[in-house]
Amino acid sequence: MQRTAKTLMVCIFIAALASSMACSKKQTAPNVATGTPELEEADLGAGDFKAIDPNDPVLSAIFKNIPFNYDQFSLTPQACAILDNVAEWMKSNTAKMVLIEGHCDERGTNEYNLALGDRRANSAKTYLMQLGVDAARIYTISYGEERPLAVGSTEAAWAKNRRGEFKLK
Amino acid sequence: MMLTQTTYWPVTARTGVRRATGLLASLLCILFLTSPVAAKVYIDINAPAATSVPIIVPPFQNSGSQADTQKLSSRMASIISADLDFSGLFRIIDPKLLNESHLRGVTQSQIKWDSLSVVGAEAIVTGIFSISSNRIEVEMRLFDAVQGRFIMGKKYNGTLDEHRQICHRFANEVFRELTGSPGIFETGIAYVMRTGQNKELYYCDYDGGNLRRLTTFDSLTLSPCFSPDASMLAFTSYRAGNPDLYLMDMASKRTEKISSKKGVNISPDWSPDGTRIALTLSLKDGNSEIYTLNVKSRSLERMTEHWATDVSPTWSPDGTQLAFVSSRSGNPQIFALNVANKLVRRVTFSRGNYNTSPAWSPRGDRIVYAGLTDGRFNIHSIRPDGSDYRQLTSGQGNNEDPSWSSDGRYITFSSNRTGRRELYIMRADGTGQKQITFGSGEKFDPTWSSLPKN
Repeated sequence: MQRTAKTLMVCIFIAALASSMACSKKQTAPNVATGTPELEEADLGAGDFKAIDPNDPVLSAIFKNIPFNYDQFSLTPQACAILDNVAEWMKSNTAKMVLIEGHCDERGTNEYNLALGDRRANSAKTYLMQLGVDAARIYTISYGEERPLAVGSTEAAWAKNRRGEFKLK
Repeated sequence: MMLTQTTYWPVTARTGVRRATGLLASLLCILFLTSPVAAKVYIDINAPAATSVPIIVPPFQNSGSQADTQKLSSRMASIISADLDFSGLFRIIDPKLLNESHLRGVTQSQIKWDSLSVVGAEAIVTGIFSISSNRIEVEMRLFDAVQGRFIMGKKYNGTLDEHRQICHRFANEVFRELTGSPGIFETGIAYVMRTGQNKELYYCDYDGGNLRRLTTFDSLTLSPCFSPDASMLAFTSYRAGNPDLYLMDMASKRTEKISSKKGVNISPDWSPDGTRIALTLSLKDGNSEIYTLNVKSRSLERMTEHWATDVSPTWSPDGTQLAFVSSRSGNPQIFALNVANKLVRRVTFSRGNYNTSPAWSPRGDRIVYAGLTDGRFNIHSIRPDGSDYRQLTSGQGNNEDPSWSSDGRYITFSSNRTGRRELYIMRADGTGQKQITFGSGEKFDPTWSSLPKN
């Protein structure tokens, strides 16, 4: 009984790793806890970051919201494509910092969604880091289901709300 | 850090704490003669099928010369009836079954005992009051209607605004007299209300009365949780730009940030001995784990170490275990860990693939949680070993955020069954579901304060 449980755990673990590595680019699983807990204080100053100006054609084309599947924090090919462009821009604009906000749809409880939003933001951050963007220039924050973009309880609204959103400073 | 004794007190919003003169100073409580016989326990509330005592609470009599413009006569009787009804131990007999002239008696010699037996009342509470300017004096008496015998009475003196508290206090006395246990009628519930784009903390009596606003951070403020003695409130707020953990001193309303690690600092739950707070931190990598924070020393101890998302801890009342939510089996389920050795076991198995928001009863016998069944969230109850599953809410909207009263007999939760998310209370078996908040603004995350210290 114990062995099958262990095997099952391993299979689930591998499946989870596999699903989190959906993009073709090489990346390590962003969801494995490493080393001893880092106890840095939050240094966010999220107030300084500004939303992308929708009237700026260049920025708004690059910093599109990245989508996520329900209860997932892995990056879809569509998400990776957006992040590829973001990484390019960040490497050409080295003075800029980016904030990635992780958001969820309204389903599920607030606390779980705060945790999920955090994982979404960090998935995106890890991907950018692997493309060569300096970690010190990438900030993350989760808003869970607290700041929806679209109102309503439809699939369309939920899909819009499951997102990573960018801000710059 | 100073943990001051609670003198919790109605706060007028934005103007700070009303001077805490304390209930004792302004309410004069005089104990009448009680029955010379030792208090007999009428109801064993721990018995598996406790029967309910039929009780009648007629409108109070106004003995003063000042008119009862606020209809306190019926209002006070209603508050006491509602308290006793919610307790689950009494069956309220509607005073309208009797002619009003039969219900004017206040003392033993005045009460029409025959009328009471006609409607099957086994107990009666009578009240008599007088108002002068903005003060009220009330006498309330409890009688055994079967024997026609006085049990106990109290006299209170306070401001008109305090009439609710006076009634709740007397209902507690009735509860204690008949069961030997303290009642929860003077407790309060703190919660989150959406205000525009933000969320702030509010506080009300357990029945929704005396609404007060606690925060004006103009930010997202979430997940309040009372300390065991209700002197402090832990909560998460984005007011400094990150979801950080704060403590509010309920007496002074001063707040202090106690955890501001990178990532989330969320879902606080106080340990039963008040020395630690279990919380969720994600730190650098966004992988949420359960930690405990020593309130005095601020040191952290890690409880979970797993690639999955672990969130929403709740303490067992003996402090040896934490139940929490984990996605380690693929989707959110309830697990429990042993605080000493960190060993984890799974608690929820069947019935639904999204189980979250666990709350461990202060009596230790049940864990309630919000679980998705047939596309809706409902409150479910199980034993800590996962057995004896019961569904407490059904068929009405989404029901979430369950939280226990400190005696483990009642539960508060949020529900959008009316179309807007409001707060409800119910008994631990799911009966007696009652809406306690009304008006605009969606409400979430209720936390129930413990009994006030007397």
